[in-house]
Amino acid sequence: MSKPSIPLGLVFSQSGPYAMMAGEMRKSALMAVDEINESDAFDFSFAPHLRDPGGVVAEYHTACADLIREEHVGHIVGCYTSASRKQVIPIVERTERLLWHPARYEGFESSDNVIYVGAAPNQHVVPLVRHMLDHISADVFCIGSNYIWTWEMNRVIREIVTSAGGRVLAERLLELGETAVDHIVTEIIDRRPPVVFNTLVGESSYAFMRALHAAATRAGLSIPMLSCSLCEPELKLIGSAASVGCITSSAYFESIEGADNRSFVARWKARHGRDSSLSVDGQSTYVCVMLLARAIRRAGSAEVGAVRRAAANHRYDSPQGPVWVDPDNNHCFLTPRLARSMPGCQFSIFWEADAPERPDPYLSNLDLTAIGTRAEKSNDTMAKRSNHLRIVK
Amino acid sequence: MTRPSPFSVRGRRALMVMRDEREIPIVRRQLSRLGMTISEHDPAEPPRDQSSDVILLDADSIPIKSDHAILWKGSIPIIALIGTETPSRLKWLLDLQPASFLVKPLRSAGLYTALVVAFDSAQQRLEQAAHIEKLEDRIRSRRVVFAAVLQIMRGHDLSEKDAFALIRQTSMRHRTTIEVLSAEIVAAGGMPNRTTRTA
Repeated sequence: MSKPSIPLGLVFSQSGPYAMMAGEMRKSALMAVDEINESDAFDFSFAPHLRDPGGVVAEYHTACADLIREEHVGHIVGCYTSASRKQVIPIVERTERLLWHPARYEGFESSDNVIYVGAAPNQHVVPLVRHMLDHISADVFCIGSNYIWTWEMNRVIREIVTSAGGRVLAERLLELGETAVDHIVTEIIDRRPPVVFNTLVGESSYAFMRALHAAATRAGLSIPMLSCSLCEPELKLIGSAASVGCITSSAYFESIEGADNRSFVARWKARHGRDSSLSVDGQSTYVCVMLLARAIRRAGSAEVGAVRRAAANHRYDSPQGPVWVDPDNNHCFLTPRLARSMPGCQFSIFWEADAPERPDPYLSNLDLTAIGTRAEKSNDTMAKRSNHLRIVK
Repeated sequence: MTRPSPFSVRGRRALMVMRDEREIPIVRRQLSRLGMTISEHDPAEPPRDQSSDVILLDADSIPIKSDHAILWKGSIPIIALIGTETPSRLKWLLDLQPASFLVKPLRSAGLYTALVVAFDSAQQRLEQAAHIEKLEDRIRSRRVVFAAVLQIMRGHDLSEKDAFALIRQTSMRHRTTIEVLSAEIVAAGGMPNRTTRTA
């Protein structure tokens, strides 16, 4: 089989603080490339060029510059953190290339040279806070890693919660990679907040979940925990007992029903072993490569402008369900979902949006008054108002 | 005192608080071209007592919750270098009251404008602060002026309007302010002697 080959840049860190997640993303990208190369549905193949920035922010720029100059790639799939993406944006904008970005992020960005395939804040944090207000509590204890993801998540949480009459009881921050969590666990056990919102990442999060689970068990407490980033491979790293019961918001869980996802999971496990697990970022990376391949096929060219136009509104029935690029902001229509982590390192999905949700990277359409007036609250307001009217009469 | 022109930047001292290895040389080169004196400071370190005329502060290099971030706030104008436009970061920036800003990635163009705007708005801030202080002084001395008017009304059997007119004319004749003359009237229990001396 000889199909014309298109160079494709893949930039994932194989070492450093988030090497585990980036490794999952790299595996998914290569799986998508192999499927496209072996498929008759595509009359071209991808020649993947891998680069490993080793988790060093400045290396992302070097890696992409090299891919563009030496390998002549028009399209790059990769980056995990916002810091790394911001290193790459200047060079893809200057040289008119496209970065296909798989990871969810905190929003407030919209480059013409990035296709944002991960969830925007209205698709991850907002549904989770809404669920918290409706079903758990309006008072929340926040703990997170001291960087932009947590800062911005905490801001959104605070804004929604306070407009609904609730309170942020505490905002505790740990440096990235920090695993000394006992002082915060002690504080939580002492104060017994109705819910903990966890935006820690990596080892900090695993250490915290283990320690809080142990301490809560000793104290006979059960404190609900929320997360916008927990995924299946992490449940295994945390351990089966401590990882159970975390309410998680994500566009993808391995347990999504439907033939497309079942087949996808089966192909993944055939490749990586029965004990391997998919993750939201891995699946999203697969979707990136597929969206790109389908746009190239539709455009009849890998030229960036043509591909961007072809990708716009071109629906792809992916493992996570229908996905398409919104040309207004280059982010994707995705279906938000909420799930609870279960024994056996899986998630049980208990809510999903009726349809894919339009991405809103700047949260311009966030209606705080609509979230603020929940059922019970609006009843209160109405009761007060009618009392008031009686007095006036 | 003549107002320094915001357009003349030669000889002024810039402090670079930056981390990005690709942007530091761009800023350094451009500041040298403009004839400015450059010093550099590691964003991870708390600010030292550095005498500079402008600070170029890379917002992304300092954690939002860092204790020493707010120490940068002071009378030296800050040019914020912005990479992240999330509201949490912008709120942090607003607390530092930057005099102007540049959006990353930096280029050689734009820096001069940012400097001019920073120097101009810093100068305006100084002038406004001085103006506000003057107005506040005036508000504080209103009680004294009122007491002086009452004194003159009683002593000279004048209406309030005429008493104030007399104080105003006298203060103008003696090249002093109404507030200062009023304080003298209150202290002397009437129009002080020197008012008649130079008539």
